[in-house]
Amino acid sequence: MYFRTVSGAAVAAALLVPGQLAAEEFSIWVRSDGSEFMPKLVEAYNARGEHKADLQIVPVNELVQKYAIASAGGSAPDALSLDLIYTPAFAEQGQLRDLTEFAKSLPYFDSLSKAHLSVGTVDGKIYGLPFSGDASLLLWNKDLYERAGLDPEDGPSSWAEIQEDAKAIAALDDETYGFYFSGNCGGCNIFTFAPLIWASDGEVLSEDGKKAMLDSPKAVEAIDFYRGMVADGLVPAGSQTDNGANFFAAFANGNIGISPSGSFAIGALNNQYPDLNYGVTFIPGQEEGNWSSFAGGDNIVISAGTDEGKIPAIQDFIEFAYSPEGQTILAQNGAMPVRGDIAEEALAGLDERYLISAEAMANGRTPYTVVFNDLINSSNGPWVTTLNRAFFASSEEDMRQAVGDGQAQMQSVIDAAY
Amino acid sequence: MIEANPSDEAAPPTPRRSRKGDWMGLVYVLPAIALVVVFFLVPLGMTVWMSVHDWPLMGNPRWIGLDNYQRLWGDGSFWQALGFTVLYTLAATVGLMSVAFALALMVQSEGRATAFYRTAYFLPVVTGFASASLLWAWLSNVDSGLFSPAAQMLGMTERRVNILAEFTPAFWSVTIMVIWKMAGFFMVIIMSGLQAIPADYQEAARIDGAGWFQRFRWITLPLVRQPFALALILCVAGSMLAFDQFYIILNGGPSNQTVTAVYKIFNESFVSFRLGYGAALSVVLLLILLALSVIQLRLLREKGADK
Amino acid sequence: MTGTLTAPTPRGGRIRYHRVLFHVTATLVALLFLAPIAWVVLASFRQATDSLKPPLPPWPTDGFTADSYVRLQEFGQSILHYTGNSAFVAIGTAVLTIIVSVLAGYGFSRYRFPLKGLVFVLILSTIMIPFQSILTPLFLLLAKMGLQNKLIGLVLIYTTLQLPFSVFMMRNAFDAVPKEIEEAARIDGMKGIAMLTKVMIPLVKPGIVTVGLFAFLNAWNEFLAALVLLTDQDKFTLPVLMTAVRYGRFGSVDWGAVQAGVMVMMIPCLILFLILQRSYIRGLTAGAVK
Repeated sequence: MYFRTVSGAAVAAALLVPGQLAAEEFSIWVRSDGSEFMPKLVEAYNARGEHKADLQIVPVNELVQKYAIASAGGSAPDALSLDLIYTPAFAEQGQLRDLTEFAKSLPYFDSLSKAHLSVGTVDGKIYGLPFSGDASLLLWNKDLYERAGLDPEDGPSSWAEIQEDAKAIAALDDETYGFYFSGNCGGCNIFTFAPLIWASDGEVLSEDGKKAMLDSPKAVEAIDFYRGMVADGLVPAGSQTDNGANFFAAFANGNIGISPSGSFAIGALNNQYPDLNYGVTFIPGQEEGNWSSFAGGDNIVISAGTDEGKIPAIQDFIEFAYSPEGQTILAQNGAMPVRGDIAEEALAGLDERYLISAEAMANGRTPYTVVFNDLINSSNGPWVTTLNRAFFASSEEDMRQAVGDGQAQMQSVIDAAY
Repeated sequence: MIEANPSDEAAPPTPRRSRKGDWMGLVYVLPAIALVVVFFLVPLGMTVWMSVHDWPLMGNPRWIGLDNYQRLWGDGSFWQALGFTVLYTLAATVGLMSVAFALALMVQSEGRATAFYRTAYFLPVVTGFASASLLWAWLSNVDSGLFSPAAQMLGMTERRVNILAEFTPAFWSVTIMVIWKMAGFFMVIIMSGLQAIPADYQEAARIDGAGWFQRFRWITLPLVRQPFALALILCVAGSMLAFDQFYIILNGGPSNQTVTAVYKIFNESFVSFRLGYGAALSVVLLLILLALSVIQLRLLREKGADK
Repeated sequence: MTGTLTAPTPRGGRIRYHRVLFHVTATLVALLFLAPIAWVVLASFRQATDSLKPPLPPWPTDGFTADSYVRLQEFGQSILHYTGNSAFVAIGTAVLTIIVSVLAGYGFSRYRFPLKGLVFVLILSTIMIPFQSILTPLFLLLAKMGLQNKLIGLVLIYTTLQLPFSVFMMRNAFDAVPKEIEEAARIDGMKGIAMLTKVMIPLVKPGIVTVGLFAFLNAWNEFLAALVLLTDQDKFTLPVLMTAVRYGRFGSVDWGAVQAGVMVMMIPCLILFLILQRSYIRGLTAGAVK
């Protein structure tokens, strides 16, 4: 009886929606950061022989521009794995399809990454679904810890500890430094610096993204914390002009004690620098016991103009990505799974450092703004120029001046958009 | 040497009166006209048209009249970029012209050795701004470059100094790169003037007892005025449009202090996608450059007249 | 040296002293100008581990290696692919510029047609307008024409930018050909295109080389338009690709690969210049006469 009902429903569905049976081909783009996991995921999906995903990898810096041009010319891809922070901007420009109904129909909807969904939702409608995760973390070099007489198994868990440990390591010799961050990279710092503030009950932006809060007390204290480490000579001189080019390599080269980074670094370090003995912990708050993380990664979105006939196939692809098989492919190739209920299963057998990363992902935050590129990521935007001035200011007064100016500039960029 | 012969423009060697002749000449020139119209005049008109619109990359343009120009008036970052561009133009022009002049004086005579010097000084010119900037970005890098480690090694600095982190050293590093790369170019232009000076002028003056400085002041300078003025115009126009070196070496930093006018237009148009606003900035820059060229040409003509 | 032989001894000493001083200074300055190029040539052959260290000394201390070039090869498609893109754009621009400017130069020199003066001034005056200021609409225009992100789009733009200089050069080159030669050929029955290709072009060859050389070098080295108009990594020309290499990938920058890339970009220009030095200088000074 049960069997008959099910098959009957299937037949009825097939008659009602004939497109669902026909194999559909759809195009999908991913930014180059996803060039590890995405081809493997697509390959596994296409091997099932139902529908065919046609993948194109786009250089990360050109994705927004390229999508915009293609969209203007009517040749936008059907689906897109989009850096999640751009979801609000794209949605508000009417580029994306409303996926609310599909999302709510997923049985595991409640265990999908909240951080991804919060930026994927605009005016109560879901435009972007969680696809891949990358959370910010703190790395420390165990060998240097040992040489400096510190406990190599105990990573720093407060700002004060970071500073103390960094001091001890910097004292080792002239070529060794305590701490590294990319001091001229906006994207790197929203990813790794903002969590220091969040973990101390501070904010960088208001919840709705309409107010800059760079001059709030905790933000200023965090900036001064970095400034102090720079002034003490714990940070290499190259940091001041690093626009992200050295974001990963500085720590990987082995002469840096502590550096905030991301989940991606675990895979990259294990593959490219197998000899580096390092630990992974959360980015701490000012007080011990608190931590936070930037939950980054990609949302999957469907272009507003995509042919109705292709929608079921794309939805099928998304559900495949959410399946245990899909989530495992992600995890094995350096992306954090985005389905909380099976994350552990997907990460089973992997380096335990991935588990810390998954936890950071699950409890991470993602700031919301429609002007993310102009405000944060642009190399001439107010966020990075302000931080650069403030981190490397020669006095506290100069630092406060820089923060004051930067707060006003950030607010004016936001105001211009609303 | 190919002669410039502008006077016979109106009188071609074989005048044709037939209609067919009229038509044929136009046919030869047509491809050039087509390119200039499609890829120059149309975009030029579009720039003006776009500048009175709010023109996003996605979505529809909206007519906003002179709003972009109004906004530009109050846009501190544009005026800062323009101010920096002028500062750089002054530094680069003074530096380039003096170095180029000195080099031209050194290599004006004929001879195998001077031919070698000439080629050596000229070689950086053909490398292109992008490759020269990449080269300089490396040489100026604090960890893997040449300048800071060498300064430290020679005991000039105690620690390695990140020369790209502060405005003054970063600015001079780029300016020196530009002088290195472009001095040979202006050297050749000025040299072409020096070589046009008849040798007996100098000899006659020498016999009359004129010293080196007097000969330089009263013979050399007046005669190279024309090519020197051309070099000056090219140098000012080129410097006002600087982009590659500040984008590649400095990223406009530190703290956006080395964002040039073209860099600012690039950011507005192709990073923030405010195409209309970018067009308005372009129009303003264009007018400034045209005004500069006209002023320089006029000065040159006046000087030429009083000679 | 001859000066020292003919001049009286007391002054001869001073002249010799001056000459030595001059050559020493000139040589030092030459070394200064050549040093950055020499530095990158040598440094590009260092080992991977050395490429992170300061180039002191610049030469490889433990054996020459082409490792940096091999690593550069791993960026994106392959450095040959991008060199091919650059070569296509540069050669395409040179060829198109030659064709268009030879035709136009011939037309302006040998024919009379309505509005000739105006058209000539119009083409020349585009040199007064920086193309940077029309880049935004060019981008939209090419997108509309389906030429954005296509190398051929760049070729068309670069050619247009070369026209004022090239048409001026070619017009002057044709003007310098005595009309008697043409008359003689006409009596032999030559006309139209045949006259141009068989009789005139061999006579203006130096001008053609100059025009082509400038077009090639400018297109090979151009950065801003290529940066804006090419969005697909497969289409990148060398300057755009190398900027991406200089910014690194996954947060690490390989200076060895940057040095190798600078070499790939520079060497063709240096070789072309050394071979065609005369044509290059002719182009510059022809501009100076203007």
